[in-house]
Order: sequence, then C-alpha cells, then structure tokens
Amino acid sequence: MNTTYFTNGKNKAALAPKSVEQMPHSKAGLSFTDWRDARKKNHKWRNIRWAILVFMNLLFVLSFTFDLAVLEGSLSGSRLIGFYLMDPYNSLQLLAVSSRTGYITMLTMNFWIGLTTILLFWAVLGGRSYCSWMCPYHFISEWAEKLHLFLVKKKKISERSFNRGIRFVILIGFVLLAFLTKNLVFENLNVVGIVSKAMIYGPSLLLLWVLFIILVEVFLSRRFWCRYICPIGTTWSLVGHVSPLAVKFDLEKCGYCLECQKVCLVPHELWFVKRGTATQDEHYVGSDCTRCGLCIDVCPGKALSYSIKGASAVL
Amino acid sequence: MKKNANEVSRRDFLKSGAIAAGAIAVIGAGTFVLDHEAAKSMPREGFLRPPGAIEEEDFLYGCIKCGLCVQICPVHAIKLAGAHEGLGYGTPYIDPREQACDFSCDALQCVETCPTSVLDFKQFKETGLRAVEAAAAEPGVDMSQVNPFEVQKVAMKNAVKIGKAVVNKHTCLAHAGKPFKGVSRGTDFSGILRSPNDVNSSATPLRDREYDQDICHLCVTECPIGEKAIVQVRNRNGRKLIPRVLDGCTGCGVCEMVCPTEHASIVIEPF
Repeated sequence: MNTTYFTNGKNKAALAPKSVEQMPHSKAGLSFTDWRDARKKNHKWRNIRWAILVFMNLLFVLSFTFDLAVLEGSLSGSRLIGFYLMDPYNSLQLLAVSSRTGYITMLTMNFWIGLTTILLFWAVLGGRSYCSWMCPYHFISEWAEKLHLFLVKKKKISERSFNRGIRFVILIGFVLLAFLTKNLVFENLNVVGIVSKAMIYGPSLLLLWVLFIILVEVFLSRRFWCRYICPIGTTWSLVGHVSPLAVKFDLEKCGYCLECQKVCLVPHELWFVKRGTATQDEHYVGSDCTRCGLCIDVCPGKALSYSIKGASAVL
Repeated sequence: MKKNANEVSRRDFLKSGAIAAGAIAVIGAGTFVLDHEAAKSMPREGFLRPPGAIEEEDFLYGCIKCGLCVQICPVHAIKLAGAHEGLGYGTPYIDPREQACDFSCDALQCVETCPTSVLDFKQFKETGLRAVEAAAAEPGVDMSQVNPFEVQKVAMKNAVKIGKAVVNKHTCLAHAGKPFKGVSRGTDFSGILRSPNDVNSSATPLRDREYDQDICHLCVTECPIGEKAIVQVRNRNGRKLIPRVLDGCTGCGVCEMVCPTEHASIVIEPF
C-alpha cells in the first residue's frame, strides 16, 4: 500500500496554481460564472442517497408494523434477516459499563458478531457513510440546514462555528461517564436513537430534545450536532480512516470555485480545493467525509467522484 | 505579538473542550443524583420486565434499548417505557392488563433475541436441556415417542419468573360466589391470547371468546401454565370455589388480562 493512503499528501509542499489557460472554463470556452453555475440544479447522488436512507428507515418501521422480520430493532441494535448488527458507540459504552459491573462475560456471541459485522461493513463502505446514507437525524438535519442557510442569506442570523475537537471530548467523556455512573447516559441524549425509535415504536417525550437540537441547528450554528457533537459520527469517522471507498479529487478538472466546500458538512476535509493548496494531482477526501455526494453533484468540472482508494495500484 | 494559527486553534480547542467537558460533568452529576433519587422514590411497583430479566439494577445498566424483544413478541406484549420512567426510559416492560405474555411464541423468543442478555437466555436453555435429559432418564420412556422440543419448551416456560399473581378477595367474582357470562373485557378490547386448550397455533382476540361459568374462574381456565400455577379450590369452610395461586405461577399475566372485573381482581406483582 502506498504511503499516501492515510496521509493524503497533507504535509507536502503545495503545487503551483494553474494558469488561466489551464482552467477548465477556458478549455470549455465559457465564462467562469457560466461554467460554475452549470450544475447547480444537479441532485443525482443526493436523490439516490435520500431514496436509500428513506428506504432503509422505512424497512425498520415496516418490519415492526407488519412483522416482516427483515430489518428488526432500531439503529441502536438490530437484526438484518437474522444477523445481528450493533451500534459501535453504544457498544463502547456498554463495554465500559459491563467491565465495571463484571457483566462483560455475559454478553452474547450475537453481540460480538453484530459489532464486528457492522464495523467491517462500514469500514468497507466509508465509515461516516453511515451518517448520510442511514442516519434519520442527518436527513432531518439537512432540511434544518436549508432553513439555516436561508436565514443566513437573509442576514437574519449570523454563522457561528466551533472547534471540531469538541467531538473527541464528547466521545471519550460519555464513555467515561458510562463507566462512572454504570448507565448508558448518552442513550438518553442520542438524537439518532431517539428519532429512530420514535419512528419505529412511536413518539416519546424525548422528541422535545431532538426539537431543541434542531432549533440550535437552525438558529445558532450550521449542522451543530453532526459537526461538533455526535460521538456516533466520530466513531464512524475513526473507522473511515481505513476505508477504501472515498471521494476522489482531480486537480486538473478543478476550477477553484469552492462550490463543493459550500455544500459540504465537513469543508475542512476539502482543504485542497482552494487555489494553490493542493499538493498532489489527486487527493482523497479524508475520514470525516460522509460520502454524501453533495460535492460530486455540485462540482461544475466533475473534479470530484466516488472512488476506491488504491484500486489503481492493484488493477 | 501576533499569535500563529496553531496557537489560536489550540486555545480555541481548550476553551470549547472545557465547556464540553463541563457539560458532560453536569450531565453525569445529574444522572448520578437521578439514579439515587429514582432508587429511593420509584420502587417500580407493577413494573414488570419481560421473561428472564436479570436484577433490575443490572438490567438498567445493560439494556441498550434496541427494542428487539419488542419486535419479536408475536402478541406485542412488550412495550418500551416512556421518558416519565426516568432513567428506565426506553427499557422494555409488560403491562399484562393490556396485553399479557401468553407464551404463544413457544420458545421465549424475546429472551433469546436479546443481544446483551439482560434477558438471560442461558438459564432457560440449561433448564430446557436438563428437562430433556431427565425425561430420557425416566424408566420405561421411549424417547422416540417423545418430542424433545416439546419437553424443552414446557420446562423453559415453567421456569419463567416475571412475578406472581395475587388475588384481590374484595373484588374477585369467585370470592363473592358470582358467575360470569359473556365477553370478558368488552368487544373493543384489543388483547389477544392463545388458550391452553386451543387447537389454533396462534393467538386470537379475547373479544371473540364467550364464557359461561357458574362460578367465575377465567383465570384458572386461561392460565397457560395450568394446575401448577393456579387451581380452583374450596375455601376453608367449603362453601366457595375460589382461585388459588401456587408457586408454579410465572407471572405471565394472562389471568390479569382476562379478569372480567372493572379493575383486575388478580394482578401480577413483580419479585
């Protein structure tokens, strides 16, 4: 495996920016703005992704409502046609609690198999792909984001951003808390689990907490939960480090328009799209990327695409 | 002096990280207090856990609230607790008056499906296997004529301890010497069950059953465990026929569900 699989050329020296003649809009014979706005209405990957997200969550609901036995349980723990799948962050907390109470030896083989299966599954498919392709809260949040961006555009509110490192404090903090209180504390605040269970088993009072988070995302800070809080996403982001499925960036087709960063949940992972920052002709978007495909949809030069890391070396 | 970008972001992280850590500490302290207050003020009376539930304290620690037990139950007897249950939020419970566990799944599927084994299947599995061994060891038994699955199933069912039924003498129809005729819980009651004598393999609505008993003993008739759990006996002076709960009662709650009085005259009390 080549060394850039993980480092992605971040610590190398930047390449020289392209000249006007080398820019994709010049090659296409268009003005820069015409070239840039050409694909604004393209929503191919978003629509595919939403269809899959809605279908999978509907499968949970229908499996319960009509006893389908296809995808039982909820996003905390489930069975897909009889095979167990366990949420890794939930499991991490459970391991913290059960190592304290000595209950760890009682955990079933199904638990271990379920945990391993889901880790392998998303390790192949991109870690945080779970967020954008499965998580029902992500779907709600995308709509809240639209509203938020509208309000920012109308200058009703101003944008606030925080340090992304908070996520790791939260991730470790709640595992520690589980260990100390012997309680799965985060599960009571887990908007993903609350939304998932509310859809499947019926609404509960805790939806008020979800509403509160949505209001924070609309009025305070863009994608607050997903960007700075959610330890489930952070866990998947760690898994994403080894994942071969990633979004590939092709410098030659890039016109430095930054449209991709505008739609991205994790724009810091697209650090190489700014003029004069790319260090290689090709970059892969890092592990925080949810592989949602919004950047692929919006990119006027089709410089971004789904790709398998290291495939060119193997084939 | 101008600070470099790294230094700014480090300070930024320390600041927001400290806020996050503070928030977690507050939540932790809150949980700790709630946990201890809840233990004092909420003895969870009448809060029945599904079969095989381990001790309540450990149960709360280990249940990940996935709802797999809820899904697998063929009669939908298991529900998830709401936010008013405090820290027990999202954990499964049974409200037998609305829908009792009637064992129509045959093999304690809710217990078997639990991935964290807070519903502990191991104990039932061992009980079942021991029962099969015991049946085979009995003299004069031809094992080819015995279905080991049946033996196992019955032994597992009998080993369930959700709680124990208690009869309220003041409201029980049998204690008043009264008959019962008609549909037990009204025609709009949605509970379902499989009677011990049913040829059907699946549960049917209680509202479809008409009873006609000179002295009411629905609880005895419908008990899925049978004479090990509840029997109709004469009281001390021999004048009344009353139901008596025995040690074999599993607390499944079918008696509580079928009881025709306005408030159930036989209720399950958790251990």
